[in-house]
Amino acid sequence: MADIDKVTKQKVKHEVIKDPLTGAETTGHVWDDTLMEFNNPIPTWWLWAFYGTIVFTIAYFIMYPSWPTGLAEKGYLKGTAELTYKADIIKDGKRIVGGGEEITTHWNTRALLAHEMQNDPNELKRQEMVKTVAATPLASVIKDPQQSQFVLAYGKGIFGDYCAACHQAGGQGVIGHYPNLIDDAWLWGADSADIELTIRKGRKGNMPAHKASMTDAEIAQTANYVLSLSGESVDSAAAEHGKKLFNTKGCSGCHMPTGIGMKALGSANLTDKIWTQADVPAAVDAKAKVAAVKTIIANGFKREMPAWESRLSNDEIKVLVAYLKLLSAN
Amino acid sequence: MMKHESIETNAALLIVLTLAAISIGGLVEIVPLFYIEGTVEDVKNADGKDAVRPYTGLEQLGRDIYTREGCYTCHSQMIRPFRDEALRYGHYSLAAESQYDHPFQWGSMRRGPDLARVGGKYSSAWHTKHLIAPRSVVPESIMPNYPWLQDTDLDISDLTAKMKTLKKVGVPYSLTKIEYDANVEQFGEDVAKKLDINMSEKNLMKDAKLGNFDGNPDKLSEMDALVAYLQILGTMIDFSKHDEAEFIKFR
Amino acid sequence: MASTATSPIVSPNEQYNYDIVKKFALMAIFWGFAGMTAGTYIASELAWPFLNFDIAQITFGRLRPLHTSGVIFGFGGNALFATSYYIVQRTCQTRLWGTGFANFTFWGWNLAITLAGIGYMMGITGGREYAEPEWYVDLIILVVWVVYFLVYVMTLLRRNQPHIYVANWFFVSFILAVALLHIFNNLAVPVSFFGTKSYSLFSGAQDAMVQWWYGHNAVGFFLTAAFLGMMYYFVPKQAGRPVYSYRLSIIHFWALSFMYMWVGTHHLHWTAIPDWTSSLAAAFSIMLLMPSWGGMINGIMTLSGAWDKLRSDPIMMFLITSLSFYGMSTFEGPMMALKSVNALSHYTDWTVGHVHSGALGWVAMVTFGSFYHMIPRIWNTTIYSVKMIYIHFFLMTIGILLYITALWVSGIGQGLMLRAFDEYGNLAYSFIETVAFMHGPLVARAIAGMFIVTGMLFMIYNVWMTIAHAKRNPVEKLASATAKA
Ligand code: HEC
Ligand code: HEC
Ligand code: HEC
Ligand code: HEM
Ligand code: HEM
Ligand SMILES: [Ca+2]
Ligand SMILES: [Ca+2]
Ligand SMILES: [Cu+2]
Repeated sequence: MADIDKVTKQKVKHEVIKDPLTGAETTGHVWDDTLMEFNNPIPTWWLWAFYGTIVFTIAYFIMYPSWPTGLAEKGYLKGTAELTYKADIIKDGKRIVGGGEEITTHWNTRALLAHEMQNDPNELKRQEMVKTVAATPLASVIKDPQQSQFVLAYGKGIFGDYCAACHQAGGQGVIGHYPNLIDDAWLWGADSADIELTIRKGRKGNMPAHKASMTDAEIAQTANYVLSLSGESVDSAAAEHGKKLFNTKGCSGCHMPTGIGMKALGSANLTDKIWTQADVPAAVDAKAKVAAVKTIIANGFKREMPAWESRLSNDEIKVLVAYLKLLSAN
Repeated sequence: MMKHESIETNAALLIVLTLAAISIGGLVEIVPLFYIEGTVEDVKNADGKDAVRPYTGLEQLGRDIYTREGCYTCHSQMIRPFRDEALRYGHYSLAAESQYDHPFQWGSMRRGPDLARVGGKYSSAWHTKHLIAPRSVVPESIMPNYPWLQDTDLDISDLTAKMKTLKKVGVPYSLTKIEYDANVEQFGEDVAKKLDINMSEKNLMKDAKLGNFDGNPDKLSEMDALVAYLQILGTMIDFSKHDEAEFIKFR
Repeated sequence: MASTATSPIVSPNEQYNYDIVKKFALMAIFWGFAGMTAGTYIASELAWPFLNFDIAQITFGRLRPLHTSGVIFGFGGNALFATSYYIVQRTCQTRLWGTGFANFTFWGWNLAITLAGIGYMMGITGGREYAEPEWYVDLIILVVWVVYFLVYVMTLLRRNQPHIYVANWFFVSFILAVALLHIFNNLAVPVSFFGTKSYSLFSGAQDAMVQWWYGHNAVGFFLTAAFLGMMYYFVPKQAGRPVYSYRLSIIHFWALSFMYMWVGTHHLHWTAIPDWTSSLAAAFSIMLLMPSWGGMINGIMTLSGAWDKLRSDPIMMFLITSLSFYGMSTFEGPMMALKSVNALSHYTDWTVGHVHSGALGWVAMVTFGSFYHMIPRIWNTTIYSVKMIYIHFFLMTIGILLYITALWVSGIGQGLMLRAFDEYGNLAYSFIETVAFMHGPLVARAIAGMFIVTGMLFMIYNVWMTIAHAKRNPVEKLASATAKA
């Protein structure tokens, strides 16, 4: 503080003052009694670094698309950097990726991706593996350690981003909403072709409501019967009535007279102790079990599995099928 | 350097020169975007009609809810041309796909996944369940619950006013027969019907009933509109029918 | 501090309009506290989502704009009004022109922020970052801004000094730029005159370009140029030393003003915006590095010859630390503006960390330092507790360091995870795995917020007691009024 007092006391407006500490001179301007500025030169390193960034910029502008040159079509400097990629061909309304002529264009973000998808070794490996797995019978895929390792790795990411929102991260589903995919029980068929179709086209399950066509007592009886199908202990008299109702009220039309379900409709197998809608496993006692099943019969439900063919190629879907098969086999 | 004296002793000069300095950048970068053809790609379907259409009334109201709730603070709607994003989200976004977005909602943060192509990815039932309670389907989620969307009736009182306003800022909704015919020309008849402001309320009721987005056909809720919007995102262009080179040429 | 015998005969309260400075300063502290509390709350919502409580008004998506507007326009804006009005008077050695007009800017500005904030919670928003206020609030802001310009320029014209001090160049540049940005970015058509909703005049790619031209320069002029103006007054004043280099001031002022406006597209790298705009922004961002550092050098080197103050003066610690963070974030910024780096950082917490090393490290720190200098002077007293300034400083520094380190971990971590491939070229992680990964850092960030808000509580108490003290001792005040300037 002492030094500045010295300076300000000598202060005369518009007179250059020399700093006793550093020897720098001020510009002679003074504001607010004490506010001054030194006339120090711009640090050389600063100046050179600034010039450096300008040189960088010029090089950058030469290489990459930069200045607009007019308001007309494509009016901008394209730059000297180039990229090469193969165009696709569209045949019969379908796209064959990278099947077309080779194109060299100025550097741009889109061509960069096309180039990478067609040249990156890691990406090519993925594409190669997808093709191989898709062309190999499922049984052989499962036996081949490299292929099955790939399938698990592929599935982890894609299942995590596309499927886990419904079927949960481990594929165990949510009773009442999304089926369990790892119990090796399949509503819509266990063949890989069935599963493939499920993923490609999606599914719309529809269990109709029966509360309009059946009385509450009838529904309770039917529920008792349904529970008996999978060996639950039930009120046998009610179940006896329920059996008749099951065959007369249309249940057997979808679930088959034996209750084993029908893959064409995705109707559940009622005999396998596996529940996708009625949360029987969580029911504490026999009464709660009946109540759970009653709800389904009374209200029915509709649910939808989205179609993935617009997002995933057929080959990729085949890999996913293998993934599900591997998961449910374990 | 001392020439700067003349600027710093003259407020008017300081103001004028500063204005000049701060105006140039914006002029050079913004103005050409309105004129250089190809800034917004021209994407046509096989039948020669525009692939990207304006939102229907229901979708637009859903979009307004999307902005109202600030979904853009967590979700981007802009897939970049990267390998990982191509695998995770699908084809990179085109400028054409947001050409009717007032305002744009590209976002700047991904607390949650990109939504540019979320349309059709999940069922509407899932969206409804997820929006009401995200952690009921995705346990690790940090997204807020939005239960009121399901409970609140959709306000359609200003639907036509909104569409008319959007028309003023350039969205080709139609009021007159001439405008309607132009839309038929540009988008095809099915789409043109949806863009007719005179029919907007009727269309909206029909879309909501048919789509049954919130799982309750008897109630027109905000959920209906929001899910209708989410379900259209990124679905307008069928990329399997386009050569990649077509889009690269625009850059 | 640096009091001199050459003071004018009138008390500063008559010579200068301090009343308006006081009002703005207090509101800045209020909004700073409210905005940072909101920041800590939304940070906690991300760490513990139950805090959204299923209440529409306080969900993350609606509160986040309340935080950003609260801190940028409420805290930053009021702080800039306060300090610019203080500085322009003192460096022109004249009373602020148009007392009524100045008061109008106070009420108008704070009304606008209040209306905007209530609106966000009710779901009224333009849906574009930092430009969320709807059209009716935009109009209020516009009028306030024009009046601000008028008051500022009229005061400049009445200066008793031939030269306009460098701080005022920055304020002028800031006022002009914000006017330009605000007008063009908020062009919108209201749905009805009595309703709140409007639609942006632009759409898609053009809307994005205009918005980020605005968005970046909200950073460039609101959070940088103007705060440099603040710095250019308070650092030399507090140090009692002349500014390091006049020539550097000139070159970095013009370079900043010119080049900032070019770099908005670095917020849109790799998007559907044409590549040529992106390249311009990347290159200009690199060229911005040295001009930005020009400000830092000028500030820090002002201390050369008085380095000991860094140890003995907590106000100086605030100011110099702020300059260091300024230098750090303006180094980080240009790096993130490179397309290849941005590919990783964009959409992640790295950006948010960068934001806060600028916003907390630079903006908030320089404001606090300046306020600790200014507040005793405008109330004509001495600070109640220097010790509390130290405590505030340490809480703040710890908080900021924790904040940005946590978000480097979270942001770079997420960025790397999302683009990680396994040996077969498959995605190595799903998105939700990155969400789970970020939980830890997000908790740390929320805790960092608590440190910072606690620091502010010390400031509020300290300022409160300082003012109370000034009011309790009017005699002392009168006596010192003639002794101090
Ligand atoms: C929007 C939610 C949702 C998503 C996302 C989803 N699924 Fe499904 N999935 C369902 C529903 C609901 C069913 C049951 C359909 C039915 O029974 O009507 C189902 C059924 C299935 C089935 C048939 C199960 C059976 O027992 O036959 C398979 C296989 C399947 N999904 C695989 C997948 C795969 C693979 C993915 C990701 C690519 C996926 N799902 C994504 C909801 C979804
Ligand atoms: C139109 C065909 C159809 C008829 C008729 C029908 N169901 Fe179903 N049911 C289904 C389908 C399909 C499912 C599985 C839906 C799904 O998984 O998406 C199902 C599921 C169920 C379930 C749930 C099983 C579980 O795992 O949780 C029960 C219980 C059931 N049905 C009982 C009945 C009874 C009892 C009747 C007659 C009163 C009946 N169903 C009539 C198609 C039908
Ligand atoms: C606090 C941040 C946050 C907010 C606000 C938010 N989300 Fe999300 N969102 C997430 C996270 C995290 C995920 C990923 C986990 C999940 O699926 O819930 C997600 C996932 C989603 C998904 C599934 C995307 C996919 O592909 O799996 C949709 C759709 C979605 N959000 C829509 C919305 C809508 C609509 C809003 C506003 C009404 C919104 N979100 C608000 C964080 C948020
Ligand atoms: C206690 C101190 C603060 C805390 C805890 C805090 C917290 C937060 C949080 C949680 C977000 C949301 C990030 C996200 O979307 O994930 C955010 C965003 C933001 N905050 Fe703060 N903040 C604080 C102080 C400030 C200050 C003082 C400023 C400015 C002066 C500021 C400016 C911003 C900006 C500009 C954003 C938007 C960032 C972006 O979009 O990338 N914050 N803050
Ligand atoms: C030369 C200086 C700077 C440059 C070149 C720069 C560059 C950048 C870049 C590249 C981004 C990331 C954009 C994205 O990926 O979305 C960014 C974001 C941001 N920066 Fe800086 N930065 C600089 C200085 C600062 C300073 C000093 C502050 C604050 C006071 C600041 C505040 C912000 C904010 C608020 C954002 C977030 C915008 C958003 O996404 O909402 N920047 N900056
Ligand atoms: Ca079963
Ligand atoms: Ca942002
Ligand atoms: Cu920026």
